[in-house]
Amino acid sequence: MKKILYILIPVIIICFLVITVSSSQTQLHKQENKVTVSKNQNSKISDKLTAYDVKGFTCKSCHVNEYPTKNDPGLSDCPREYMVSEYRSPKEGPDVVVINDMSDNYSGVVFSHKLHSQMSEMSGGCTGCHHYNTTGPVLNCRNCHDKNRSREDITVPDLKAAYHRQCMTCHKQWTLENGCNTQCHLQKGTNIEQVLESYKGKEHPKVNSPEKMLWETNSDKGKMVTFFHDEHNKLFRISCNTCHNQENCIKCHEKKPREDYSKPVKIQKSLEEHHSRCNNCHSGNSCTKCHSGQELSPFNHGKSTGWTLNSYHNKLECSKCHGNSVPIKKLDRNCNSCHKNFTKGKFDHKVTGIYLSEVHMELECKDCHTNGDFSKAPNCKSCHDDKSYPAQLPGTRGKK
Amino acid sequence: MKNLNRRDFFKTTAFGVALATLGAKSAKASDKMLSEDRIGVLVDTAVCVGCRHCEWACKVAHNIPTTDLDTYSDNTVFKEYRRPEQTALTVVNEFENEKNSLLPIQVKTQCMHCERPACVSACIVGALTKEEDGSIIWNDDKCIGCRYCMVACQFQIPTYDYDRSIDPHIRKCDFCHDRRKEGQLPACVNICPNEALLFGKRSEVLRVAKNRIKRKSDVYVNHIYGEQEVGGTSWIYIASKNFDKLKMPTLVKNPAPGISESIQHGIFAYFIPPVTLYALLRTIMWVSTRHKDKNSENLSDIHKDEKGEES
Repeated sequence: MKKILYILIPVIIICFLVITVSSSQTQLHKQENKVTVSKNQNSKISDKLTAYDVKGFTCKSCHVNEYPTKNDPGLSDCPREYMVSEYRSPKEGPDVVVINDMSDNYSGVVFSHKLHSQMSEMSGGCTGCHHYNTTGPVLNCRNCHDKNRSREDITVPDLKAAYHRQCMTCHKQWTLENGCNTQCHLQKGTNIEQVLESYKGKEHPKVNSPEKMLWETNSDKGKMVTFFHDEHNKLFRISCNTCHNQENCIKCHEKKPREDYSKPVKIQKSLEEHHSRCNNCHSGNSCTKCHSGQELSPFNHGKSTGWTLNSYHNKLECSKCHGNSVPIKKLDRNCNSCHKNFTKGKFDHKVTGIYLSEVHMELECKDCHTNGDFSKAPNCKSCHDDKSYPAQLPGTRGKK
Repeated sequence: MKNLNRRDFFKTTAFGVALATLGAKSAKASDKMLSEDRIGVLVDTAVCVGCRHCEWACKVAHNIPTTDLDTYSDNTVFKEYRRPEQTALTVVNEFENEKNSLLPIQVKTQCMHCERPACVSACIVGALTKEEDGSIIWNDDKCIGCRYCMVACQFQIPTYDYDRSIDPHIRKCDFCHDRRKEGQLPACVNICPNEALLFGKRSEVLRVAKNRIKRKSDVYVNHIYGEQEVGGTSWIYIASKNFDKLKMPTLVKNPAPGISESIQHGIFAYFIPPVTLYALLRTIMWVSTRHKDKNSENLSDIHKDEKGEES
């Protein structure tokens, strides 16, 4: 009996130890499981929400009335994510906007709307600030952004943050005394009328554009890249925001560089990002169109298209032949495409510098100019076996 | 002999029961579950403009002497990398933005308020406590200044009043515990002009962070720092640059106290080591005494035999 007790006591103690250790470990596991379960629930909720945002669009998402019409669309006040944004010209907007929704805490702000909207044309347009803008009326920030920082729905920034994010994203280098309080927030005793007057009719000055740009690259296709900026803009009528649609304001407005940032703006881009602007139009071209060992020569109608412009065509506006469409339309080489009146008898051949003999004047145009291609030398072979142009002429040379 | 053993047995069992009840109590106290509505802050470094108003507001809220707010516009402080210290519980540092050097990235640093805090685990006197709402606060009266929390913290946040020879304190962000008791927001969150610091329920804040990354996948790196690092933190970060390049430590998902606490709360709970030691010693004693008894019995037998032979 005594021996059994001696053995039993340590055995009981050891069993007790084993049980407690294992139970404490399972407790830990249980806790961890609890945490993962709540995480899963969260992700489910967020999935639901995004699914609603993207797919769950119904008429009611935007229109509050039963039968929306063009004249009475009955658009909902609060625009939502992924909603249609409408382009509006800077001319449509006001010159100046006074922001004083929170002027009890902060002094009001006079915002030069026109200047900024003109600049925005190069960096995303109106929607950069007026995000989720519907086709309805332009909404105020306060329509969606709550004035309280301590609030229920934190998915939308509060009003103070909404305003500041609009300004500070570009004016990041402003300081309280050199920017915020001098350029934006009106100080006590400021005459608002006077400030408003100073902004009236103010427009952004015309942006100086370079004639051409030269880049040195590491490409093995040719180290130099020449870009004729003026040609693209003025000759080919490609508007500024075709290429400059995501520019950062401070790219131009970096007046007082901070010590550390005095280096030139160097934005790291991938190979694709570098070429994306050119590829909008030139995706089919070979690399050597831009890349070369040396600086390229500017656009030459004869070289690039094979149709040298003579003294008459040279004086014409491009749009006279090519129309107003962008990118510029390629034309055929049939003179009749433009010159509808160039028919036998009506066309004065003297303008070409060759005065036709009486016999030749009787002929149809296409008898000599085969296929109506006037850029090539005329064909004499259909009538004359032994004659060719320009050794022999169908008349005499004279003044054009 | 038989009676003594029984008494021994009862004593041991009574001692064991007493220990078990004690142990159960202490286990309950350490299992304080975090609230489902626990708070969190999202630091959106892509929205932060580096105005450093949070630094100023923090000092004012914690009665730390400071200069005027205007002086915080001085950007030259960004030249040096700074860490939180006893006179500045939060600091903002600046990092280069390769995508656009004119728009550098600013990152605020303060206590992350871990979900499974190493500092609380390391504190030997229970001066640091993890509150139900997720914040980690400390009690100056309990603190003995051992600085274990400083060693334990993976983010190197707690600082020490080395310059105070008498009654030095451990200092770190306390999630503005006093302000929040009065229903106010943390001082830094309240002053931030851009709401780069978004305060709310941790679950809600995490959802916003995920949504922002999803919506602007070209801006943000697909990583929410603090979602899973060391078992999750109350303060979470999103950024346009990899976090290791913003001097945020690369950490594992498991909380640091996970292993140490499972040993402490498992093997060391219920006075297990001393009880085991006692059992072991008693076993050795029993084995050795049994051996002795046998020897003495053998001896007496020999004596008897000797006596028998004699008789």
